[in-house]
Amino acid sequence: MLGLVKGLGVTLKNMTKPKVTYRYPDEPLLMPNRFRGIQHFDPEKCIVCNQCARICPTDCITLSGKKQPEKKGKVIDTYTINFETCILCDLCTEVCPTGAITMTNNYELAVYSRDELFKDLEWLNQNNTHIREEQSGNVAKRHGGKQ
Amino acid sequence: MELNFENITPFEEQEFKRNVITTNLDQLKGWVRSNSMWPLSFGLACCAIEMMATGGSHYDFDRFGVIFRASPRQADVMIVAGTVTKKMSPLLRRLYDQMPDPKWVVAMGSCATAGGPYVKSYSVVKGVDQIVPVDVYIPGCPPNPAALIYGINKLQEKIRYEAKHGKKVINR
Repeated sequence: MLGLVKGLGVTLKNMTKPKVTYRYPDEPLLMPNRFRGIQHFDPEKCIVCNQCARICPTDCITLSGKKQPEKKGKVIDTYTINFETCILCDLCTEVCPTGAITMTNNYELAVYSRDELFKDLEWLNQNNTHIREEQSGNVAKRHGGKQ
Repeated sequence: MELNFENITPFEEQEFKRNVITTNLDQLKGWVRSNSMWPLSFGLACCAIEMMATGGSHYDFDRFGVIFRASPRQADVMIVAGTVTKKMSPLLRRLYDQMPDPKWVVAMGSCATAGGPYVKSYSVVKGVDQIVPVDVYIPGCPPNPAALIYGINKLQEKIRYEAKHGKKVINR
């Protein structure tokens, strides 16, 4: 009998509290800044150093560059992430020396076919909403190290 | 009743060949089925934790009529949440066969979709679509509860579309 009263006490206490349920499909739900959704790629910044493809633990990144006619270095030609096997370890964005590949908060990625999970350069470039904002210290460390 | 079949388009002819009388009934069935999807809680790994979180009060799964069942006989949807090993695959197929028709499968997470981090492993199935037909793939490692809700909403959309148009949804 005492247990029943105790239980009802919890119920009555929670009745006056605000509801905790997110109204997700009706209202968009924003994830925090450090959330790992899907990558954004900026071909302007990429220097084809191949580091992201080498560090990827599941080898889901494939890229190729082509030689520039006059200048030194290469420009990016194709860049694909096989998002089927991407495990969102975030190593590609950490290793990138120019910040060409960054993480976004977008998580609405469910599809009807596995082929659609093969994300190419164009898709990754257009995926430019909710890009992770870097902390200032992190950016200074990334761009150049000691200057 | 006299029917004039001369002035109809090929699309309309195709629509006539499907059953005209029961189309509205099919739509009603699609609406009912999509709003009471009872999933078989097939939790195998860390994705199951996110699936449980989706069933909790913050992301309330019951809002969509999704109530987890412990028995395949009562389930309509199988949410494969986690790594399917080769040893587990015959059991997965048996549980799928035990589910009554109509039934759907959602592959949740990278492991169920394509093997994920174990893509080079010798003992992990590289995607549950090798064993059972999958309707919706949810990428992520693991997908967060909102992503799972999005995937379930996509499946509901698919059920309603297929009931309305009578064609299989393959893309989009």
